[in-house]
Amino acid sequence: MAKFVGSKTRSQEGPRHVTGRGLYTDDFQLPGMLQAMILRSPHAHAKILSVDPSEAVKHPNVFAVVTPDDVKKMTKPFKPGRYAAGLKRPIDEYAGAIDRARYVGEPLGAVAARDRGTAEDALELIQVEYDPLRANVDVREAIKPSAAALFDELGTNLAWTGSLQYGDIDAAFKSADRVVKESLKIHRYSSTPLEPFVIIASYDAASKRLTVWVTAQVPEVIYDGLREALGLQDIRVIIPDVGGGFGQKIHLIRKYVVLVSLLAIKSGRPVKWVEDRSEHMMAGGHACNQEVEAEAAVKNDGTVLGLKFKEYDDVGGTISTLTIHFTNKLNNLSNTYKTPAIYMEGNAVVTNKCPVIPNRGIGKPGMCWIWERMMDRVAQALNMSPVEVRRKNLIQANEMPYQTISGNVYDSGDYPGLLKTLLEKISYEKLLEEQTQARAQGKLVGVGVVIGVEPGGRNAARDMAIFPEMQNPPGSGGVNGAKIKLEKNGTLTLHLGSPNCGQAHETTTAQVAAEVLGSTPDKFSTSIPFDSDLSAWGVAAANSGNNFHLYDIGAVHGAASKLREKILKLAAFNLKADAAELTIEDSVVKVPGNTAKQITFAELGRIAYNNQHLIPADLEAGLEATFYYTFPHANPNIVPGADRKVRAQFTFSAGAHAAIVEVDKNTGSVHVKRYIIVGDNGTIINPDVVNGQVYGSAAHGIAVALGEGFMYSPEGQPLTITYLDYGKCSTAETPNVEVVHQPSPSPFTPLGQKAAGEGAAIPSPAAIASAVEDALRDYNVKVTDLPLTPEAVWRLLNHNPEKERRIF
Amino acid sequence: MIPGSFEYYAPRSLSDAVKFLAEHRDDVKILSGGQSLLPLMKMRLSKPAYIVDIGRIPDLDKITEQGSSLVIGALVTHEQIEHSALLKQKCPLLPQTATTIADVQVRNRGTLGGSVAHADPAGDWPAAVLALDAEVQIAGPSGQRWLKCSDFFLGLLMSVLEPDEIVTAVRVPVTGGDKTAYQKAAPRSSGFAVVGVAARFAVDAAGVCTRAAIGITGVTDKAYRPQRTEELLTGKKLDANVIQQAAAEATRNIDVIEDINGSSEYRGHLTQVYVTRAIEAALHG
Amino acid sequence: MKQKIRVTINGRLYEEEVEPRILLAHFLREQIGLTGTHVGCVIGECGACSILLDGKVVKSCLHFAVQADGREITTIEGLAKDGELNPVQEAFVKNYAFQCGYCTPGMVMTSHALLKTNPDPSEEEIRKALAGNLCMCTGYVQIVNAVKDAAKGMKNG
Repeated sequence: MAKFVGSKTRSQEGPRHVTGRGLYTDDFQLPGMLQAMILRSPHAHAKILSVDPSEAVKHPNVFAVVTPDDVKKMTKPFKPGRYAAGLKRPIDEYAGAIDRARYVGEPLGAVAARDRGTAEDALELIQVEYDPLRANVDVREAIKPSAAALFDELGTNLAWTGSLQYGDIDAAFKSADRVVKESLKIHRYSSTPLEPFVIIASYDAASKRLTVWVTAQVPEVIYDGLREALGLQDIRVIIPDVGGGFGQKIHLIRKYVVLVSLLAIKSGRPVKWVEDRSEHMMAGGHACNQEVEAEAAVKNDGTVLGLKFKEYDDVGGTISTLTIHFTNKLNNLSNTYKTPAIYMEGNAVVTNKCPVIPNRGIGKPGMCWIWERMMDRVAQALNMSPVEVRRKNLIQANEMPYQTISGNVYDSGDYPGLLKTLLEKISYEKLLEEQTQARAQGKLVGVGVVIGVEPGGRNAARDMAIFPEMQNPPGSGGVNGAKIKLEKNGTLTLHLGSPNCGQAHETTTAQVAAEVLGSTPDKFSTSIPFDSDLSAWGVAAANSGNNFHLYDIGAVHGAASKLREKILKLAAFNLKADAAELTIEDSVVKVPGNTAKQITFAELGRIAYNNQHLIPADLEAGLEATFYYTFPHANPNIVPGADRKVRAQFTFSAGAHAAIVEVDKNTGSVHVKRYIIVGDNGTIINPDVVNGQVYGSAAHGIAVALGEGFMYSPEGQPLTITYLDYGKCSTAETPNVEVVHQPSPSPFTPLGQKAAGEGAAIPSPAAIASAVEDALRDYNVKVTDLPLTPEAVWRLLNHNPEKERRIF
Repeated sequence: MIPGSFEYYAPRSLSDAVKFLAEHRDDVKILSGGQSLLPLMKMRLSKPAYIVDIGRIPDLDKITEQGSSLVIGALVTHEQIEHSALLKQKCPLLPQTATTIADVQVRNRGTLGGSVAHADPAGDWPAAVLALDAEVQIAGPSGQRWLKCSDFFLGLLMSVLEPDEIVTAVRVPVTGGDKTAYQKAAPRSSGFAVVGVAARFAVDAAGVCTRAAIGITGVTDKAYRPQRTEELLTGKKLDANVIQQAAAEATRNIDVIEDINGSSEYRGHLTQVYVTRAIEAALHG
Repeated sequence: MKQKIRVTINGRLYEEEVEPRILLAHFLREQIGLTGTHVGCVIGECGACSILLDGKVVKSCLHFAVQADGREITTIEGLAKDGELNPVQEAFVKNYAFQCGYCTPGMVMTSHALLKTNPDPSEEEIRKALAGNLCMCTGYVQIVNAVKDAAKGMKNG
């Protein structure tokens, strides 16, 4: 019976956050530190003709200026990562724009000054001459031959195209009773973490050592980015408390780390840069907008024999993240269904908008959007209940572990069970009756029921499936570590391999370690920050990809197990007992049935670090353990073979969602009357923490569906650079979310735990769309596009589309 | 995000303030609550060399009853108005409007005078003061004067205020038995109105509307009174038909704006919806 | 040109010199060293910088430091006494009403201000009072629960 895993525990992070003692990157001050500002393009698309920093350089309190010339001379371009591996010709990507600006806000230089105000004043003194070019804001227009190409080397804005097929898709469509088609769209949005990018760089020229403090989720991107760009060997990356990540603080931030480091190198002083909110909204990174043509081959009984989809991804003004929204669909390609054939085609189109990044769920919300909209479409075409169609195609609980056609192995899950409980909770049949009556009275009420799988634990080799030419994977599976140390006073210190952005890593790992070691969570403290010199980190040390539950918990579990062995060995020696018969309870090692024979962690600590005489000769002194975890069940398909099957991710949570809405006929506003999720996150270590992740991700998905999002003018000017213009929801606009847990523990993880970070953001946009379409059923409306702003809904029910597109 | 440099002056008297404004009239801004000015300065859309903080001038923060009027000092905050027992009783449209403005933090600092002087085309106060036929008191080098609000607002962030003049008070009528309401369409409660409608009706014992005043904001370059709508309501019993026909005229001869929150077509439609809602809210509470 | 100000912060009187354009939020963080007040958007839309100014909750990024002369300020660091959390802070910890913690000081200040004037708020009143404080992580559910919990706790004494 678990003591701490699964129970309510006091938060370890809480006390410092509620007293303002969190330590974020902007809270650090270094002696002589300067403040930076970034020089950015005001044009969506322009040649950069000249950059004259002379007036800024002359300013008395300016210490360094970086121009495109400096970037070109002092740095090398980033190596094309796996997301750009499909480029026909390699294209240099430097930290800043060199001779062409490709989106409003693209960085091209920087200034370091005595204080922030002066840096901003100095920025205005830099003279830049641009030759504006026509901006591309629409994916279909951008791929026309007449469009201005962003990259002359490519000659086209269709930067990448590729496809994958699993199963016999032709046979599926030949044997179908009918084919259901739909065109779908999803818009640009992002989780916009409250803390912006913050970077401090400090360069010790004599030792050639660069130290950066940075709000980053994936230390490897920063570390490798600095090495590649600056050619330095001695790099230290420190990541303190981070105020939210959600995938925003992974990729583009490496450009700024390089630029700020250049300022530190040029000035000889530490330099801090704090991103402005408007900078983040225009250039921090977006989840890309996608246009999808989907077709489902179905039998009249509702069986889906095959799914085909072709997507156009608007990836913005960079080539380094071309395929992320496509390849990540491999993570949940089958969703919860046993459909035997799937064909996917991706087209990455570069445009003059902000580059895209892996925002929460990356690719998976899009995949679930396709599946769940198509399931509703199939139900309509066959005159079946949308719930029945889904049931017909679900993978069954007794088929687990289940290998999908693309090579994923679903570890566990009872999808019919989740659906069943969900329908009970909303009294589905009764609800349908009530809604029919309400609609007869003119109320526009509707319900949407969707289901989505939530993959967890990333495989670094996943993208090889679409890049067969990539012979040597730069990474595969995942590696991440943790260290636990028993201190001299019997308390324990954890040092995790990954940084965190607020997902209660300290609390959760303390519970796991306490369980394994026979201690109590309150005896643990976790050492933050992440420090590349000290943390046991690897490719999976990433606060992203739903990695924590697998790689960090796995590493902590492993380290705690190793430490437990050492503790027992040392205790056995000192108690003159057999290690195998010892138990540990409340940080005391005991011989069962003999109260005289026991020794505390504190006593063991004092021995291990001080008293050689009491340490057995074959036991290392000290009491600490480091463990690097890899997922032991990563095969088959850890690296794709000729059949392109690959384990895109390793564990699979799931959630069935129901949204109950009412639409205001006059204004088009959608009121979410009830939103409930029945979720399977495997063994839950801390219920409050998991609930928090589900509430937060659901709330965001709902807000995305109902109106938050980025907008551009036809000239490529970003129109949403403040929180209010972007449409971020407050307590007043966010509905309550209910969560019911129905876990199917994973047979593959140490505690049966599965992921919970991205989860509810994946199916929620589809749930809202389904409910709104249901509410408007008497108006013969199809919901195919997001967002469902009040005006969008008003136009749908009045069959009054906008005559000319104003917003892109 | 850091404003340009400026010199800061916090006068202790109105005459000192006016004198300073006159001296630096080409490059000076008045700081009241700062909730509108600071964002503009931080985005460097406004870069005054001088800031006059009128927050230390005494006696500008009172709400006083003067006969059949109420005088509200320019420094009275939205929050003070929202919770004023006197105004709830004597001119409820003001607290009804105040409680919808932005959020509690902004309401604690933002001022009526500052908002009126700022003349934001989507600000809530201009709609309310127009519907109340309110007057604004302006202090300048030649002394103090009262001006009707309907003559005060000129256009997008423009009023008749000269650079050396300060709004010192707003005078509103005691609305007695009049029925009032403020209704606002705002996709985000902390955001500006996409459409904001202030309504004030005098209804006689027979249920006939003897006077109708409606102030609309968020729709064009400044708040306005929809004359035709008011005409169609006056002298009639306000049933659903009458209201609908009147509301349909709410944007007659108005250049309805379009922005990220709505096209002109949708906004025009929303105006009719919210005029209807404001009328119904006023009549039925 | 720098100006002298005298301002009381968390019960202590400070005499400082500030450039007029310095925002109160940055003054508190960098000149006084109280980094608990956070800056999330700089233009007054997110509430992360919320503090009490003469007892009322305001956004410190919409305020110049120089305007604070003669005023009384309470920041998040001023709520707990010797490490003992106040009822709102305790309720936030118990209810896991935070994740990354960046919005938390502002949320706690606004909640604290709410319960001072409205000790038994309805859920609607709580949501309206907190509408000026954005959170990207939590979906607000546990935050609203925490405020209800704090109110209950304070009612029961």
